[in-house]
Amino acid sequence: MLAVQFIRSLPAYALVRASRGHPAVATGDLSMLHLGDVEEPRLPGPGWVRVRPGLSGICGSDLSAITGHASRYLDALTSYPFVPGHEVVGVLEDGTRVVVEPALGCRPRGLEPPCRPCAEGMPGRCERVTEGVVGAGLQIGYCADTGGGWGEVLVAHESQLHQVPAGLPDEAAVLVEPLACCVHAVLQGRAAPEEVVVVQGAGTIGLLTVAAVRRLTPPRRLICVAKHPVQREHALRLGADQVVTPDRLFQRLRFATGARRLGGPDRPLLLGGVDLTFECTGSGRGLDEAVRFTRAGGRVLCVGMPGREEVDWAPIWQRELTVTGSYAYGTERDGRRTFELALELAPELELERLAGPLFPLGEYRRAVAYARAAGRLGAVKVAFDLRDRQGWD
Amino acid sequence: MGRPGAVIEVDRNTPPTLFHFGEGVRLERLPLGTRVVYPPDPLPPIAHPERAIRRALAHPLDDDPLKSLLRPGMRLTIAFDDLSLPLPPMVQPDVRQLVLEEVIELAAAAGVEDVHLIVANSLHRRMTAEEIRHVVGDRVFTTFYPDRLYNHDAEDTEGNVFLGTTAMGEEVTLNRRAAESDLLIYVNLTLVPMDGGHKSLATGLGSYRSIRAHHTVHTLRNSRSYMHPPDSALHHACTRQGQLIEDAVRCFHIETAVNNHCFPALVNFMQKRETDWTAADQAAYLTVKQLTDLAPPAVKRAVFHSMRAPYGLTAVHAGQVDAVHERTLAAVERQMLVEVEGQTDIVTFGVPYLGPYNVNASMNPVLVVCMGLGYLFNLYRGRPVVRPGGVVILFHPCRYEFDSVQHPSYIDFYDEVLADTTDPAEIEARYERCFAEDAWYRQLYRRSHAYHGVHPFYAWYWAAHAMEYVGDVIVVGGERETVRHLGFKCASTLADALEMAEQTVGRHPSITHLRFPPLMLADVR
Amino acid sequence: MRFELLRDLELVRRGWRWGQVRPEWPEPAAAIPELPSLEWARAEPVRSLRWLVQQGLWLPFTRLMTRPEVEGDEWLRDQDRAMILVSNHVSHADTHVLLAALPDRVRERTVVGAAADYWYRRPWLGRLVSFWLNTFPFARSGGAQGVLHSSSRLLRSGWHLLIYPEGTRSPDGRLQEFKPGVGHLAGETRAPVVPIHVQGTHRVMPKGRRIPLPAPVRVRIGRPLHLEPGEASRSFTRRVERAVGELGGGSRAPEVVGSWIERWRATAPARRRPRPGGGRGPAGGA
Ligand SMILES: [Zn+2]
Repeated sequence: MLAVQFIRSLPAYALVRASRGHPAVATGDLSMLHLGDVEEPRLPGPGWVRVRPGLSGICGSDLSAITGHASRYLDALTSYPFVPGHEVVGVLEDGTRVVVEPALGCRPRGLEPPCRPCAEGMPGRCERVTEGVVGAGLQIGYCADTGGGWGEVLVAHESQLHQVPAGLPDEAAVLVEPLACCVHAVLQGRAAPEEVVVVQGAGTIGLLTVAAVRRLTPPRRLICVAKHPVQREHALRLGADQVVTPDRLFQRLRFATGARRLGGPDRPLLLGGVDLTFECTGSGRGLDEAVRFTRAGGRVLCVGMPGREEVDWAPIWQRELTVTGSYAYGTERDGRRTFELALELAPELELERLAGPLFPLGEYRRAVAYARAAGRLGAVKVAFDLRDRQGWD
Repeated sequence: MGRPGAVIEVDRNTPPTLFHFGEGVRLERLPLGTRVVYPPDPLPPIAHPERAIRRALAHPLDDDPLKSLLRPGMRLTIAFDDLSLPLPPMVQPDVRQLVLEEVIELAAAAGVEDVHLIVANSLHRRMTAEEIRHVVGDRVFTTFYPDRLYNHDAEDTEGNVFLGTTAMGEEVTLNRRAAESDLLIYVNLTLVPMDGGHKSLATGLGSYRSIRAHHTVHTLRNSRSYMHPPDSALHHACTRQGQLIEDAVRCFHIETAVNNHCFPALVNFMQKRETDWTAADQAAYLTVKQLTDLAPPAVKRAVFHSMRAPYGLTAVHAGQVDAVHERTLAAVERQMLVEVEGQTDIVTFGVPYLGPYNVNASMNPVLVVCMGLGYLFNLYRGRPVVRPGGVVILFHPCRYEFDSVQHPSYIDFYDEVLADTTDPAEIEARYERCFAEDAWYRQLYRRSHAYHGVHPFYAWYWAAHAMEYVGDVIVVGGERETVRHLGFKCASTLADALEMAEQTVGRHPSITHLRFPPLMLADVR
Repeated sequence: MRFELLRDLELVRRGWRWGQVRPEWPEPAAAIPELPSLEWARAEPVRSLRWLVQQGLWLPFTRLMTRPEVEGDEWLRDQDRAMILVSNHVSHADTHVLLAALPDRVRERTVVGAAADYWYRRPWLGRLVSFWLNTFPFARSGGAQGVLHSSSRLLRSGWHLLIYPEGTRSPDGRLQEFKPGVGHLAGETRAPVVPIHVQGTHRVMPKGRRIPLPAPVRVRIGRPLHLEPGEASRSFTRRVERAVGELGGGSRAPEVVGSWIERWRATAPARRRPRPGGGRGPAGGA
């Protein structure tokens, strides 16, 4: 089958790092990414089925892996070579349209009894992600044995599949996986109605977090930090009260929260400030700013995937901040699966407006380059379109 | 020397006309038939200022000689105008220094131990020590600073007293030290006719509570213009407040007026009529033009703000406020008044680098509006130079740049308030209170050198009359995004601007160019 | 072209903040005729060049290295007469620090007395230091008539004089005995003597070291002293020495105690100041 494959190669990694992740190098012939005919993944065990991806998103974490910025920490939790792509809407052999919940916990791995987090319904926190019927990998899309969304076929366990309602277009369904991540983060953050909430960053994760905060835990004021004009429009449409640009961030947050602002123009800080911050850029700079404008005793949630970043810890210490990671999804407090909540939320958000442009697999180089510059080019979610392959009508 | 102001019609032989353009200048060829209004030449200054001051103190108007009012054991407070006057700041010695030294000499001779000097900075920023030193001179400064020479603090609840309410319901507060003095002397410098008189004490030592009584959109729309006190609702209110203060405290006013010699010799061409330019002036213009075109903004600002004006004293009067102010206004008008025959469709002028609220700082977009549509537009007597529904064409680069120390509330005013609406009345109703009572602005006003939180609103209200009156405002050379944010139109050249203006005022409009600065007062017949 | 540039420079320098009360500018022609070889150092275009070098080079450097804390410069601000600035001397860095501590207007008109037998022994060194700091040769002994004559000529033509009456750098930072030249000079010209104490420069560059190291420096400027009528020049020298020593001790006691009125009177400009002792007639001005 045709697939884009990610191989492990130290020279290629070194080359990509040396080019600082330049798209031409990061997707070039000497890179870690290759398009080719690979063996179709076999069904690893009972309960596993074949899925033919239709749309498959390019995620920020995929880009960091391709450009060599991903944390080396994840290396041990991944098996190579793998086919990337975990934001997938696909069809089963019987034609059912599904979205894949890619986390590979104890259940898909056929491990009995499940580890404690899996038993509690949190496969994202699974303690045995290197064991069982498939190789190491946190998710489909980072595991050598499952295939991924950037190939013609992948295999998934039936517990990982969620049927897509008939009214939801593919372009919206491809965003259900990231939306589930954001729903999970928002329910973790639990903004109170009198609070001021900032969503730092307005890429896919940022915008979907805005939408989820507005609908699940509406606060007193929801502020989104967006760099590009298109992002600004999306954020306002999805429910932000106010959109601010990064260059005037501290000034405008100071006003919105009635805080005091100290320090020079390069590294200001707020005394007082925001109650709850969702850090959705995944950059050290974003986090570094977040801990300077979040009030003492406030919370910072890292929703975007950070790498090895430099962050000033003094504010975290002095303000007694709660900095929490937020990864994946599972079962929320009321006993419902995050994906179910996301699928419920999706129709009213008109998520299809965030998807595109779509590229065929063959143009993966252009697609990756486009995704890297998405904000500037006015795009949010760049995806591969494989619907012309067999199994789709 | 001493030519009166003039209106000149542009013909083929007229040289190009100078426009101030923020921290820069440019020459423009105005269309044939355009009227250019020039201010009068500087009046000759008083030859011996000290002597004139001594004479004024010895023979006050409607009052006893100052010497007889001073006695040992009394509480004496001397308040004086802050650095928003004159513009640009004056070369040393400042007129206020000369007056203060004479007054203090008398106080020393009379043995008055308890003397305080207060900068009447109202809701303006606190002056820095060096700025105070520049205004009062070294001797006064070293004698009194910092415990007996300081800035007025309008947000100090202990330091201000409520004096009462006027017949029209305006509340009056006054600096406590001033209110509890046996004698309150006010040393003023009147640069334009809106300054001085009762306004000195009522606003200079007032607080938000008293100033909000008349700094309103309603009052300013009914001050036509506030540069001519008899027609100014603002000044009527100030007079009512001032009379209440005069009843409560024994006041003695010393007012001064200066001529309009506002540029140092090096850039004298900015002051001269273009027809008078010599080769040296042209060279100076060329140099300044090239340098301001090339230099980075920070350098330009440093250079422009280091200019000091060689103003000369033209009048000094002391005594009771009404008599004193009448004479002062006469002196100011003698220097500023230019007769202009009839109104015009389009009026053009350049906005210079400096207004009253950005001494030693950049002129932010809100202040450009305040300066252009507030101060400069209102420099008329009778009726505006532009006809109702006419077009004002301003020249200013109008960049998004704010001084974070002096203008923190301006930044938020621009980004939060103007993004929502530019209508002064709506702004006043919805936002003024929130800014005026913001704890952070209050802190910065009291401890740093920031303008009060409510100050950007006043800057905007200053332009309320013009915004209501004119049909359109076009900013030539401005930053497009900023100008639109302010609610105006943007043009890149004068020709474009005139073409745009024709859509509002019709074909073949009459044009008048006001050659500010030096400032002048147009007496429109 | 080069000439034009220098001329512009001079114009800009003089025109800067035009109109600031400026006393009579000493004309280049009035500069010392005594040592014709050094006249150029006080004339254009060297003055402009030096100004450039000062502003662009060593003033910023000195301020960066020493962060001088200056007290009492108000005593200099109102002076419009030529003054004798007298300071203790501990280091080669003193002159730079002191000049940096002076207000711009004073610095521009200050010449520095440099030990003739040290600095002017070699002609190129003498020229360099004359250009760099506006120095003139001053005999350490402090008595030579020729030197005194040239100094008083300088004072009369409006230049302030910065001299170190100790004659040499102090080995341990303690004040040494003042040479009598100060008294003679004050007696001859009636110029006010401003005592100055500089502290901390021995850490910047002690005697014997060639490379300066950063260290904080404090400069205290005292109230100008005048030769009282009938006072002998030697006792006046002692008085100056005492004044400099007192500035070096502890925190500066207020020059004038009591109410503002006394301070006001004490800072009165020369022409108006009431003489406290009832003495008559101020010394003849420049
Ligand atoms: Zn598990």
